[in-house]
Parts: sequence; C-alpha cells; structure tokens
Amino acid sequence: MNINVGKNIRMSDFIDSKDNRSMLLDLTVTSSIGAQPGTENISETLKQYNTIFDGIILNPGQLEHHANLVGGKLRAAPLVRVDWTNAYRDKEFCLPAATVKRVSLSDGADALTLGASAAVATFLLGFGEDLESENIKSISLLARECYRLSLPLVVDIRPIGGNISADNYTGSIKLGASFMMEAGADALILPECEPETCKLIGMWATVPVIMRCDEVPTSEKAQRMLEAGMTGIVLSEKSLPVPGFDGKATALRSLLHQ
Amino acid sequence: MIISSGKTVRLNRIFNPNDGRAVCVAADHGWMSDPTPNVLELRRILEQVVLGGADAVLVSYGTALRMGNFFHGKNSPALLIRADWMNMPRLGGSNVSNILPAVNFKKQATSTAKDALLVGASAITIYYFIGYSDEFEAINIEQAATFAKECRKVGLPLIIEPMAVGAPVTGVNITEILIASARIAAEIGADALKIPYTNDVMSFKKLVDEAGVPVLVLGGAKSDEPRDALELVDEAIRAGASGVVFGRNVTKARNPRGMVSDICALVHGNKTVNQILGIGAKKRGRLRPVAANCTGCQMCEFVCTHYHSSEYGQEKSRLRIEFKYKPNEPHTSKPIVCPLCEKCVEACKEGALTIGAEGYLVLEKERCNACGDCVDACPLHLVFLDDDKPILCDLCEGNPQCILWCKQRAIVLTEIKESKQHVS
Repeated sequence: MNINVGKNIRMSDFIDSKDNRSMLLDLTVTSSIGAQPGTENISETLKQYNTIFDGIILNPGQLEHHANLVGGKLRAAPLVRVDWTNAYRDKEFCLPAATVKRVSLSDGADALTLGASAAVATFLLGFGEDLESENIKSISLLARECYRLSLPLVVDIRPIGGNISADNYTGSIKLGASFMMEAGADALILPECEPETCKLIGMWATVPVIMRCDEVPTSEKAQRMLEAGMTGIVLSEKSLPVPGFDGKATALRSLLHQ
Repeated sequence: MIISSGKTVRLNRIFNPNDGRAVCVAADHGWMSDPTPNVLELRRILEQVVLGGADAVLVSYGTALRMGNFFHGKNSPALLIRADWMNMPRLGGSNVSNILPAVNFKKQATSTAKDALLVGASAITIYYFIGYSDEFEAINIEQAATFAKECRKVGLPLIIEPMAVGAPVTGVNITEILIASARIAAEIGADALKIPYTNDVMSFKKLVDEAGVPVLVLGGAKSDEPRDALELVDEAIRAGASGVVFGRNVTKARNPRGMVSDICALVHGNKTVNQILGIGAKKRGRLRPVAANCTGCQMCEFVCTHYHSSEYGQEKSRLRIEFKYKPNEPHTSKPIVCPLCEKCVEACKEGALTIGAEGYLVLEKERCNACGDCVDACPLHLVFLDDDKPILCDLCEGNPQCILWCKQRAIVLTEIKESKQHVS
C-alpha cells in the first residue's frame, strides 16, 4: 500500500522501523466501564510502563491531560482511540448495555492536535446490520480524513457481538480484516485467533497486523504469532493486574525486538 | 497534568491557585425549570453571591449577556456558561415545580465553546446523562466529545456533569455508576467534573482518585438545614474534592451571601462545620429533638456516656430516649435533650453553673457544694449527681457527639436567637 511520508514517519513512532515490530498497551476500555484494576491512577500507570511499550492507546481526555508522560524519543508513542462504545458493558458492569452503541469521540484533526501518532478506530462485528453499516461509514470517512492529514489509521477488529459464535469467529476476523483493508486502514489489530488464521491474514494483508492479548503471551506463543506474520502485540488492560506483569512485559519486549 | 495555556489560565480563574479549590455557584436553573423566586430574583441573589466571595458562577448564555457586569474585574467570580439544555426537571418525579410536564427526556447543545469564549467565559459546563437509555447516553457521549474537541481548539476548560438517572439506576448501583461515569467523563476530555456526592467519604474518595481531574461536588436539592449542606461540603473536601458547585442551597438560602461565605470558609479556610455554625463561638445553639426521625437505637446515650466518662453504657448519659407503648400500635421513641432552659443555672445559689461565653453550660467544680438544687430544678430530669458533682449537658464543649453519631438526624442543633443570648 502506498502511504505517504507523514504516515510513514508517524507509524515508525510505534512500529520499530529497524525490525518492523511493535508492542502496544491499550488503556481505553475505561471510557466505557470506568477505571479497571491497574488503571485507577492513569498517571502512575503511564509512568510505570511508558518505556516498556512502543505505543500506548489512550482516550482523547487522557492524552490531553498526560501528554507529558508519552511520546518523544524515549517514551511510548501515544495513539488515540477515536470512538466510544458501550459494547464492553456486560452483566458484571453496574449498568449493562441493552442496546450496543458506538459513537465518535475524536477525529483525525483532533488526534493530530493532541499529538497522537495514530488514530485507533473500533470495528465491531456481530451486533447487526445497522451498527455495522454506521461503523463502516464512520471508519471510511475517518480513513479519508487521516489520508489527507498523513495520520496513520489503526483499526481494532472486535468480533464480540451476539451473532458471533465458535463457528463463525475465525471467519468474522477474516471478514473484518478484509473490510478494514478495503476501507483504508494502515494497520490492523486482531483478536487472538488460531495461528493458521494469523498466517492467512498476515500473508494477504499489506499492512502491519498486530494481535490483541488479554494476558502477556508466553515466549513460545509470542514466537508462533510472529512466525505467523504478526507485527506485534497489543496488551489489553486485563493483563496489568497479573503478578509479575512488569517482568513478563519486559521479557516480551526483548523477544519482540531481539 | 499538562493542558494548553488557554485552559491553564482559565482554570486558574476558577480554582484558587493557592489551594487548587473553587467555590462555584450554579445559577442556571431558569434555563431548564420553572421561574421560581430564585430565578426571578437572580440579579439580587447574584449580588449577594458575589459579595459572599464565590470563585465562579454558572449561568446560561442569555444570563451572561444580561448580567455580565457581575463578572467584571479581577476579584469578580469567573463566568461559567451552561452550554446545553435539558428538560429533566419537567419529567415529573423531580423535587422542583413543574408548570408544563414533559414526557420524553431531551437534551440539546445550545452554545459552542467559541460562543462561550467570546462572552468571556472561563469554562463551559455540560451534562452527561448515564442510565436513562443506551441511545440517550450515546448522544450524550457524542455531544460531550464534540464539546471536548472544540474546547481543545480554543483553549477553554470543559466541565462535565455526570448525572445518573433512569430506571436502571437504583440505590444499590448509583455509587458505582457515578464512580464509573466520573472516569468516563475524564476519558472523553473533561478538565473538571461537577458531580453529586456519593453519600460517604470512602466511595467519594474512590471517585475523586479514579477521575484524575478536579472534582467539584454539587449540592442538589435545597437541604432542610444549612448544616446538612455544609456537612456535605465538609465530607466531599475531606474525600479530596476540589470544591463545590452549589445551586439551590445558595440561591434559595435566606442569606445567599452568608451561605457562600460559609462554604468558602470550609473550602478555602479549612474551618469545621461547627466553627462555621458558631458552636463554641459567637452564636449559641441548643439541641432540638426530631422525634419523627428517632428509631430508638439509643446510640446517642452510649456515645454521650463514652464521650464524657470513657465508660460503656447509658447510665451516665446526659440525654435519654423515651419510649411510648400503646396497645396494637408500633412503639414510638423520642430523644429527651437539654433545651438550655437555664433553670439549673437559676437554681444554683453558689453560682457554680453558668452559661459560658461560648454558649454552653459550664460548671465551676470548686464552687459546687453538691446541694442538688440543679437536679431538682431540671424539668426534664436530665441532671444528676455523680461522685457529688452534677452531671449535665455541656454540648460536648461545642461539638455535640449525639448529633455527630445520630445518622437518623433525630437530634439537631438550632440557633438561639440573639435576644435570648445570655453571655456571662
């Protein structure tokens, strides 16, 4: 894919240009369900992990208030989540979602103003046609805007709706990846899936593909992901409260960038 | 926290740079509910609010244009503009009057950040309703995000007011929802929050800590007693709040200036509620029972005994709970407390009992000859001798423990009018 110089430079903020690998941390689920273990004090979380990761995905408000803790040569690059959804509000949340919604929180121009190295959009699958078509429309428009602004667009594919089952899970990931490539994404984030699926998407995707993990993968598992063509790993907030996270994350970093 | 220069400068107009706190007054009720006296007399009330020393005042755009003079000059309050409108008070079930009830909950963005900046605002305030429906919340989030973007562009602070309303919001989950909503608002881009109190210090501290931006507690409906409103402020500040945005508790107060000044003393002056209400100072107070609130738990008797004698029990309590039993009816209970009638003082021939300068009974032990006249004189039989010395209510030297411990508020402190004051 022919992307412009500005995008290349910004992509290299969070995908190491030497080895084409990336390790990201996603702290944005808090915009839907409030603070989670390990993210209660976002400032402390950023101070603790901003040198371990290549990039940290933040909501606009957090990036604005903690811009001094990210970016630059030594710290993780900020990526900004440009949308909000209540899809993560399950029965354990104090106010479970009855109807899933997704709305825009930010746009390309705002993300650039905030100093983000990329905009991250969510593509929800399995919630019905209305939500999907609105999601497609908004990501397509965002892709056009990001192209004009030379801002990389990363799309986070989330097949988590009620229409997703064990039978169509893998297919949904492939569908989501294909749609988002067509829409103009510059990088994809996939949920965990079989190495064969990773390999297949890694082969035909012409953009970096990063895998989302809820816990730090073992070195064997991480190695398999990389061999399957993945560019790197995004750790979710769920990985933070696990004992020994720092050590495991540092070891993963060494493995990714060895 | 790093934010733009414009935001920093404007936040410093709202939050006192010396202590990082703010006393704000919400005077935007006419924009969303009936023209009650506090709306119709807003100009007179705002004069009082300014004199009271408020750091900022929240008004509608129209009021800002009509009453902009209140915001002129360095020492005037900062102007906060309510940038949206909603009809919640007209939905019914609210505690305000309602001329034209509404059926569907509506909210509209009515001013832009740029509009507010051009009239000299130091921030805008918008609602974020959570709990009414998923659709309505999504609209709220989208509007809030649009405001956040605009505010970033023009360097204007954004204050978001999360409100948990709707059928799924219950007494069981409201605290959890408020805590989550505070963080969600900060994630969207709030520079400060205006939020209801969660009714206990611990949970509000969690809310403040997890929000990560300055939190201003709101007052809600007017409290029956000023003390209730002040205690809310006191608890919120102890939980880490950066101040208050009080509306009806100020604009409907008999003395708005005094109320603002009292809140300022709590927020900026680190005073206690008792100090502000004058217990142990110039004003005099006396205990008043509120029988309807009494559950008969007798906690007050235990607390009184323990506070004065470091003993467990009720025998040495300076007040008592009186129970009444009627056949086939639930029993009733009522606190019998010292009304400061001063009969004991009048009966003491030795002059050992006086009302001290700070307004409560003082016993000079050296003068007391244990004659027991004070015991006989007490019409409520609250005075007794212990170890040859009279035991009587001294209002815990200005900090009545029975009031502090009675969660039902079955005992309150009422001010004694000036004409009745008796200062020795």
